[in-house]
Amino acid sequence: MAGKYLGQRLKRNEDPRLLTGQALFVDDVQLPGMLHAAFLRSDYAHAWIKSIDPSAARQHPGVVAVYTAADLGKIWKPGPLNVPPPSGIPGVVFNQRTQVPMAKDKVRHQGEAVAVVIAESRYIAEDAAAEIVVDYEPLEAVIDLEKALGEGSPLLYEDLGTNLASFVHQENGSYAEAAARADLIVKTHIVMERGTAAALENRGYVASWDNKSQSLTMWATTQGPIALRNGLATILGLSEHQIRVIAPFVGGGFGPKILLYQPEEIVVSWASLQLGRPVKWIEDRQENFGDTSQERRQIHEAEMALTRDGKILGVKDVFIHDTGAYNSYALTIPLNTQTHTTGPYKVANYLTEYRVVFTNRILVTPLRGAGRTYGTFVMERLMDKAAKRLGMDRTEIRRMNMIQPDEFPYKTGIVGQDFAKNVLDSGNYPAALDKAKEMIGYEAFLKEEQPRLRAEGKHVGLGISFFTEGSGVGPYEGARITVEASGKVNLSTGVGTQGQGHFTSFAQVAAEQLGVDPKNIFVTTGDTEAFHWGAGTFASRGATVAGSAVNAAALLVRQKILKMASKILEAPEEELELADGMVRVADIPSRCISLAELAVKANPSRGAVEPGTEPGLEATAYFGPPYGATAYGCCAMIVEVDPDTFNARIQRLVMAHDCGTVLNPMILEGQIHGGVGLGLGNSFFEKLEMDDNGQLQNASFMDYLIPRASDLPPIEIAHLHTPSPLNPLGIKGVGEAGAIPIPPAFVQAVEDALPEYNLEISEAPLSPNRLFQIVQAAKQA
Amino acid sequence: MKLEGDYLFNGPREEVWAMVRDPEVLASCLPGTQSLKQISPNEYEGGIYVRIGPVSGSFAGRLTVSNEVPPESCTLTVEGKGAAGFAKGVGNVFLEAQAPDKTLLKYTGEFNIGGKLAAIGQRLIESVGKSMINKGFETLDKTLQARMAGKTPN
Amino acid sequence: MSELVKVQVTVNGTRYEHTVEPRMLLVDFIRHELGLTGTHVGCEHGVCGTCTILLDGKPVRSCLLFAPQANGHEIRTIEGLGTMDNLHPIQEAFREAHGLQCGFCTPGVIMSVLPFVEQNANPTEEEVREALDGNLCRCTGYQNIVQAVQLASEMVASRKAEAR
Ligand code: FES
Ligand code: FES
Repeated sequence: MAGKYLGQRLKRNEDPRLLTGQALFVDDVQLPGMLHAAFLRSDYAHAWIKSIDPSAARQHPGVVAVYTAADLGKIWKPGPLNVPPPSGIPGVVFNQRTQVPMAKDKVRHQGEAVAVVIAESRYIAEDAAAEIVVDYEPLEAVIDLEKALGEGSPLLYEDLGTNLASFVHQENGSYAEAAARADLIVKTHIVMERGTAAALENRGYVASWDNKSQSLTMWATTQGPIALRNGLATILGLSEHQIRVIAPFVGGGFGPKILLYQPEEIVVSWASLQLGRPVKWIEDRQENFGDTSQERRQIHEAEMALTRDGKILGVKDVFIHDTGAYNSYALTIPLNTQTHTTGPYKVANYLTEYRVVFTNRILVTPLRGAGRTYGTFVMERLMDKAAKRLGMDRTEIRRMNMIQPDEFPYKTGIVGQDFAKNVLDSGNYPAALDKAKEMIGYEAFLKEEQPRLRAEGKHVGLGISFFTEGSGVGPYEGARITVEASGKVNLSTGVGTQGQGHFTSFAQVAAEQLGVDPKNIFVTTGDTEAFHWGAGTFASRGATVAGSAVNAAALLVRQKILKMASKILEAPEEELELADGMVRVADIPSRCISLAELAVKANPSRGAVEPGTEPGLEATAYFGPPYGATAYGCCAMIVEVDPDTFNARIQRLVMAHDCGTVLNPMILEGQIHGGVGLGLGNSFFEKLEMDDNGQLQNASFMDYLIPRASDLPPIEIAHLHTPSPLNPLGIKGVGEAGAIPIPPAFVQAVEDALPEYNLEISEAPLSPNRLFQIVQAAKQA
Repeated sequence: MKLEGDYLFNGPREEVWAMVRDPEVLASCLPGTQSLKQISPNEYEGGIYVRIGPVSGSFAGRLTVSNEVPPESCTLTVEGKGAAGFAKGVGNVFLEAQAPDKTLLKYTGEFNIGGKLAAIGQRLIESVGKSMINKGFETLDKTLQARMAGKTPN
Repeated sequence: MSELVKVQVTVNGTRYEHTVEPRMLLVDFIRHELGLTGTHVGCEHGVCGTCTILLDGKPVRSCLLFAPQANGHEIRTIEGLGTMDNLHPIQEAFREAHGLQCGFCTPGVIMSVLPFVEQNANPTEEEVREALDGNLCRCTGYQNIVQAVQLASEMVASRKAEAR
């Protein structure tokens, strides 16, 4: 539903500030009298803390305070859960162990904070932190997922008696029954490893307690400012209205910044309260590798039952999920895995079961893709294997099992991250498959080009993979829109923004209803003083849920405008139109009034108003979908493998994608590009190397490689438009789309490039080194 | 991580053994050693300054000698920690008389590192470790020559 | 604490003289001493390029230098290009091509490629990707940054032509 503003490729309102160095990021906040915090972090992954001696650090000139867990008093306790465990699944086991502000008796991962120094400068704070003496009694680390659940494994939580954090079993239909009548069963063992979000801006907080106003202001790199404010109020014993959380410009989120009640959030704000001075903590890159949550480590045993002609009868997937040392984010990720495994396919009998394991690593919370990536990887690998075994074309087997356009809404019966039974709302999956095939030139490549290139001695392969992206989940978001007497429009919403262009896309939504140039709409996001109801930016829900709330609020303001203008212009509402900041009678454009004048009249300073009149051209509205909207797409790529170095280069990458109504195609494409970049990192570059003692081996950008400009191919995108019936604008989310289908398409293309070895790659990420090993093993077999 | 290597000393086995068991000599030979003092017949405590790529710092540590079979072999256990991380290692040292004035020292060991040292210095640690050990042996050999010549080098 | 030293630099045409600890990083000096917070810090170890500034016209990583090393030199930061109402062509090109999302890497990217843009009127995609290889961006997948740089090269060249 493209309009004058909606769906247009408009330049972003926020860019001039960002481009001239005038945008405020947390580390840019400078306050008089501000102190700086540095944390002392554990070198050990698992150890008892026998004693901490901060006396030397306290004597250090320039140090104002040194705190350990013992100093925190009653503030010290495990933080609240970010997300509760799911209701509505029978037999769920959930052993809650949430993050603590600083380790007290035991450290459970390398990088866990054990003490903090507050000093006049960061330099001094770090010097002094190095003078704190901690006596540890090292323990054997729990790293291996399978061993962690075995007899005699060391335990993270002695009181629990097990490293099992959770167990969830869901089944739709009966897999056993499907397997019994199958002609073919294919099995796979999939291992995916951890990476890190690596937003270029590290985390950071500035907390400033003002004694005179008895209020705390906190600038935070958070994706959930409102929830953070509310949680901090409870933890610090303040009223919510005494705390203002501001998420200013945030330099990339990608998931970890949605995690709430992180140790530093609590310690920094508490310290400011204690000292009556502003306190700043900015994470450095090395800390980030050890104290910011990560994702992507699961081990799957999966199988698929099929008929001889390729129809799927059932899928069974049993997996282990690594949650790290804590499970503050409950089960969002593995639930996403469960609901996304069957993806676009009709699977009548589906058994999915997982165990979540505590390990001595930093906790795991959603990272762009958030559980969907593994499910998609598992299913697409099973599809490839089945196609090979049945001698079918890989796209044909996919197509014949797809949910058809007339079969929506399609119920899978599996409970997802929003605790609702998963329903796929709308789409045209075969069309996206066809589009991607056409864009990559599927037939021509396989029949002509690939044989020709092979004859030239080149190892070039094609990979194609389908995915769904559950997005835009509830509960709700809200927005308030005010037309000011200046004629300018103010729009505030509770979600924070980390580069998604909300200052522009939300303005476009409102502009469409109000007939105001989006340039004149000032959007405030992520400031609890501007708007204080909402959940946050996660699960690709900003545009969908908050965008819908903006639309609803704009509609209410529009109605107010029309009602007032109709009286003043003496014309029925239906004959009025809103454009260029004016309301006018459609046929007689000279009969008009500006929104500015209307706003003045709506807020009279003298005289009487009609009973029941609300002042101002202002409205607040909320939106909560019944369940999430499911976007989807198909990605295809051509990959060339160098047989000497085993470097794999993507030569072309296409994506046919459908996220319903598009607010701004430029912003949408940017989201896909970024997702693809991360997806490629997760396929070939990025792996956190951890030794058996829980020591991270590559905690810097020198050793942990994120894709560079020359690693990425140009990305070609085609849009399909199936509006979602779940919100009035028909939007679906797009934030994680790029990341999801890349690993399965990539490994398929690598296999296809090296047919002589008949590879079966069942892991991600690969690396040139790992690929070499896999090929060596295949040669020997 | 495993460390393995050997070094040929130009001196008789007993002389080499005596040096290896002399804390003062050891302290003067290991690059970066700030102090080393004997706290019991088989235990030493001291400090060493190490620099590995971008990570550097002082480590406080303890060295224990066990399974001694003079002048043939012993086991060394090292434990150290500092602001840049920690290290723990166990190594076996063997002295083999190859000729009256030639002694081959062989060592095999395994050690673990943690903290910043592991996180940032990982790629370099093996080569830095090896080069520290070799430098140590070289100095040790020079000391040995000097001792045998009846004087101490400065 | 070590003795303080005097650092005198010209930044974006303005002369500054400050007394700081010799170990103060140049990027901290620019951000916190001078208050020019457009230059960002992403890794503090010389890999990500977010802290890139021009030192005597050449791109350098200000996290790898100490402030005293810049003594007597001329610095240009993102604040020394255009203003919000009057963007420099390279800034305009980034806006036009959507070459930024969160914008955190952007000042460093722009300062890194500014000399490249000024010297190459019509670079190929491959040349641009190579020129960008010292800068990490986690949001854009680089695609639109590449386009922004190509556009900037054109815009700068045509301005030069107009000026002639
Ligand atoms: S902060 Fe200087 S290169 Fe990353
Ligand atoms: S725009 Fe966010 S890191 Fe480049």
